[in-house]
Amino acid sequence: MCIFQEERGDEGMLRLENVRCGYDEIEVIKGVSFHVNKGDKICIIGPNGCGKSTLLKAIAGLIKSDGEIYLSGIPIRKMKRAEIASKIAMLRQNETIYFPYTVFETVLLGRYLHMKGGIFRSPSKYDRDFVLECIDRVGLSDVKDRQINTLSGGQLQRVFLAKALAQEPDLILLDEPTNHLDLKYQIELMEYLNQWTQKDGHTVIGVLHDINLAMHFADKILLLSDGKITKYGCTNNFVDGKLLEQAYHMDIKSYMQNSLKIWEESAVKRTV
Amino acid sequence: MKIKVVFALLGSIIICMLGIAIGSVLIPFNDIIAVIGSKVLGTAKDAGIDKVTLSIIWDMRIPRVLMAFAVGAALSVSGAIMQSTLKNPLASSYTLGVSSGAAFGAGIVITAGLTLPILGFLTLPLAGFIFGMLTVLGAVAFAASMDRSMDTNTIILSGMVFSLFVNAMLTLMSSLKREDAQKLIMWQMGSFSQKSWVHVMIFLPIAFILIFFTLFYVRELDLLTFGEEHAKAAGVDANKVKWILLGLSSALTGCAVSFSGVIGFVDLVAPHVVRKIYGSSHRIVVPISAIFGGCFMVVADLIARTIISPSELPVGAVTALVGAPFFGYVYFSGRKR
Repeated sequence: MCIFQEERGDEGMLRLENVRCGYDEIEVIKGVSFHVNKGDKICIIGPNGCGKSTLLKAIAGLIKSDGEIYLSGIPIRKMKRAEIASKIAMLRQNETIYFPYTVFETVLLGRYLHMKGGIFRSPSKYDRDFVLECIDRVGLSDVKDRQINTLSGGQLQRVFLAKALAQEPDLILLDEPTNHLDLKYQIELMEYLNQWTQKDGHTVIGVLHDINLAMHFADKILLLSDGKITKYGCTNNFVDGKLLEQAYHMDIKSYMQNSLKIWEESAVKRTV
Repeated sequence: MKIKVVFALLGSIIICMLGIAIGSVLIPFNDIIAVIGSKVLGTAKDAGIDKVTLSIIWDMRIPRVLMAFAVGAALSVSGAIMQSTLKNPLASSYTLGVSSGAAFGAGIVITAGLTLPILGFLTLPLAGFIFGMLTVLGAVAFAASMDRSMDTNTIILSGMVFSLFVNAMLTLMSSLKREDAQKLIMWQMGSFSQKSWVHVMIFLPIAFILIFFTLFYVRELDLLTFGEEHAKAAGVDANKVKWILLGLSSALTGCAVSFSGVIGFVDLVAPHVVRKIYGSSHRIVVPISAIFGGCFMVVADLIARTIISPSELPVGAVTALVGAPFFGYVYFSGRKR
């Protein structure tokens, strides 16, 4: 059941006010404002290059942005990295691996904030158990001592999800989490995140390419095109598909026409 | 894992003993233990060892081995830091030109006969550190401006450009000041000859403190290998920590080089081998690299001073004989994947 309220009196989980950001001279996000309540499951959808990943990075404070981003009422520009990381975990699109850590070691790094102090502070029993639990939840217990460079793309994706969970955040940002996952794990992941949000008002904001999956999973959808919000609202508002057509329309139509033309031309050649 | 660590510790003690025992005069282990016992613990005065042997053990071999071990440890830890902060298994102070920069700094101090007031003896390591740091800043900034993603090839090439350039300046300096040429050449190739307790007393604490500081950053090192953005998302203040770590790394190399001259490839080989055997976690990689690098250097020095005895090879030549093919192996096996 989706309750869409801009203001509920409390600070909510996250609030963006006229956020603008980009890389070098190019502005990718061109003034975005929205409000996220605790326990929301939000999918950001939109065509390629509309700034979905960039928006997530701005929320996580990984790139500089103009405008204000409030996390539980506090502007993130005033927060330290550790404070942000204690509230927000992020699953990035493409993780690159340069050194062969084991699955357990990698997920344990998610507990970084709880075990500062370098070599002189070994992880507590709680840390270790929690990490094992996270690994179990993503179904990787069998391979917990394998080196991550020997895993498949889907397994690796789940390793980093477990690492994000190990961070014990209030809000998880997912950048195309289902990218390398087969159907079974896509659905399992979504089910798991469903449970996770129902507990203690955890919040998920995810970028998804698969609109079906987005509709199925999210209770709110944020449609982004060309760095601006086309529509932000409850999922049932998107069912008729008109808004989606607006956002994706041009690309789809020209693509269809082009491919039709090419097909026709080659058909003519074949008959000649 | 614990067995492997104990094995490394025992191995390092045996290698150091061998380093002290073997040379133009062979010395039995008993005598070494007796001398260490009498000098350090004050037990069994002299224990019937003649003065010449005593002097060889205490005044020559022990400081030399300790110095080699400390320099090897410092260089290896420095390399381990470079590799993870630049997330590049081929990065090292040597390949980034830090060593050449430090040698250049030391060269200026030697040729100009500079000694700063107060600092005195420390002028040389300080110059090594500052010039080493400047070179790493230069090489990294240069690589970053050429290629935002800091690709392996860019970093290695820019490091090479820097070290060749600085080496040329060093050569120029030595041909302009002939009387110091011999000293400078030694600096370019590295050597532990003539190392006495004075050097050990200065360098050993510096290396120990810097490595000790590095141990506080093992988890940050782990996270940085996944990239700066990833580390930030996990809560590491990457902008700050990265420069602290590069600073520690440059300081380790800079100081080591100003005492021993440029010794290449240890910083590349040691952490790499350690990662292969002990895994990637820096909790293990940093301390074991120090031990392994120390042992590697003691053995390299042993070879350097015995193989064409009575004269000596520069130790840098020995490490390069092992290291250069190894570098090629890592580079090309990485490319095949």
